Amino acid sequence: MYLYLPVALTSINILIPVGLGLVVGLLSGLFGVGGGFLMTPLLIMFGIPSTVAAATDSNQIVAASTSGTYAHWKVGNVDFKMGLYLLVGGFAGGLVGVEFIKMLRAMGNADFVIKITYVLMLGIVGAYMFIESLSSMRKKEVKEVEVQKESKVRSFLKSLPLQTHFEKSGVTHSILVPIFLGCMVGILAAIMGVGGGFLMVPIMFYILRMPMHVIVGTSLFQILFTCIEVTFLQSYTNHTVDFTLAVLLLIGSTIGAQAGAIFGRKLKGEQLKILLAVIVLAVTVKIIFELTLSPSLLLSQAGGH
Amino acid sequence: MKHRNMPYRNFVILAVLILSGLFVSGTASAQLTATANHDHITVDFFYHGSTISVRGVSDPGTDLIIKMTSEDGNHTLRKKGKVGGFLWMNVGELEVENVPKVYFLHSTRNVDDILSRNEMDKYVIGYPAIKKHVKMNTSDEAEKERWFNEFVKFKETSNLYTTSTGKISVMDKDGEQNYYILTEWPYQAPPGKYTVTVYAVKDKKVIETATSNVLVEQVGMVKSFANMAKNNAALYGIIAILAALTAGFGVGLVFRKNGGAH
Repeated sequence: MYLYLPVALTSINILIPVGLGLVVGLLSGLFGVGGGFLMTPLLIMFGIPSTVAAATDSNQIVAASTSGTYAHWKVGNVDFKMGLYLLVGGFAGGLVGVEFIKMLRAMGNADFVIKITYVLMLGIVGAYMFIESLSSMRKKEVKEVEVQKESKVRSFLKSLPLQTHFEKSGVTHSILVPIFLGCMVGILAAIMGVGGGFLMVPIMFYILRMPMHVIVGTSLFQILFTCIEVTFLQSYTNHTVDFTLAVLLLIGSTIGAQAGAIFGRKLKGEQLKILLAVIVLAVTVKIIFELTLSPSLLLSQAGGH
Repeated sequence: MKHRNMPYRNFVILAVLILSGLFVSGTASAQLTATANHDHITVDFFYHGSTISVRGVSDPGTDLIIKMTSEDGNHTLRKKGKVGGFLWMNVGELEVENVPKVYFLHSTRNVDDILSRNEMDKYVIGYPAIKKHVKMNTSDEAEKERWFNEFVKFKETSNLYTTSTGKISVMDKDGEQNYYILTEWPYQAPPGKYTVTVYAVKDKKVIETATSNVLVEQVGMVKSFANMAKNNAALYGIIAILAALTAGFGVGLVFRKNGGAH
């Protein structure tokens, strides 16, 4: 059955957005990512204009991350305190990132910087997570060596002022650490035009040393607020949120997020990490192909990335 | 003397032209007719494109060209190009002015065989004629040619530009020629006013024209949503967010009731 989308000005078979929502929602509940890096290009592939695809995706992520946060919160896997500090940083970083993009556009090489940042970030994060989880699954001693190596970083983090204990995550950090890291992810996310969940999850694991299951819930909590902000700004300034499409997507994604949360509890932290690493690497390879193979069309709608 | 006669002579020429024009257009309107079956296409939630049939009567032995088009407008598109010799990415914007958003052209025979180039340009029939009056943000002719071809390819892929030959059926009856065409109206064509122009062609010239209009309009909830997104953007954004939050919580509650999360 087809449904007409009033803002996208196109008609779509309802099974497509519901199915896409289900798959991306599942990933969201499993890994604590928004899934924008998967959903937006898929929507464009199915004929949705790029500006509408990105804006509408953030609207459906609000629903998926609410559903996912709720599922993780019920089993005590959301660190609200850590989430709030990351949010404060993320919000500030977003503002800086948007200004940076404006500057790049004025200089005329924005797209080059965006694409290269995207590929490098995805590639580095994916590869690092993949290798690290694989070796930690194989031999425990590697982990011990790493802990020793990172002791300098840890003692630096410990020396910072405003130390506080994060009960849910069982870690102690200066509040400056999550604010700074949130800011960095916010800047990169604004540059790449994505939510940044795939960057936040490894940062929470490798630098903040949080347990994997709390990471997923906390990341979703943070994504929820980021996407509320983005949805409002997109609909207010660009008029590009297609509510009808968002409803179709969220039918799938809210259910998918619940299923992901249930499924995720049955997997170990390492298994979750390696699966996320594989998905991130697959997306990296797809973007590399897009960059190097001749496109069939040399023109596209203006707007979006 | 010479100067005094000039206005008079011009007047005579003008009068002859007007009279002959009236004569031609007089016979034309008596002969060529065009009716579109769907002059008002309504777009509701279940809209998935439509069909339009155009029928009418023309002089026997004339060829027919049917053009369905929107008003001319401006387009801004992103150009892809190679950076550093091997990376394909956006390399700037292409401004295309004075081109229709939608352009469907159907003819009984190949347009190049039945119409002279001058007539094609005069009535904007065929892609080369559109190219003649298009404006682009490039002065280089070769570049203009290249990007115009890419523009047509882009439009054809989006189902917004098409050309066809031989789809119009023609039948002689009672000394007149009846023509008929049934075409798909793609859902990608945005709401707006469209003009259907039928050209009767003989000896490589347009001898008559007839027009009809098609209005594509959003109705009901589709119209309300589209208007709200545009004119009441803040409220629309808040509703979209609240609905998403409610849906997320709602599904969470349903799963808890079913015991799925425990």
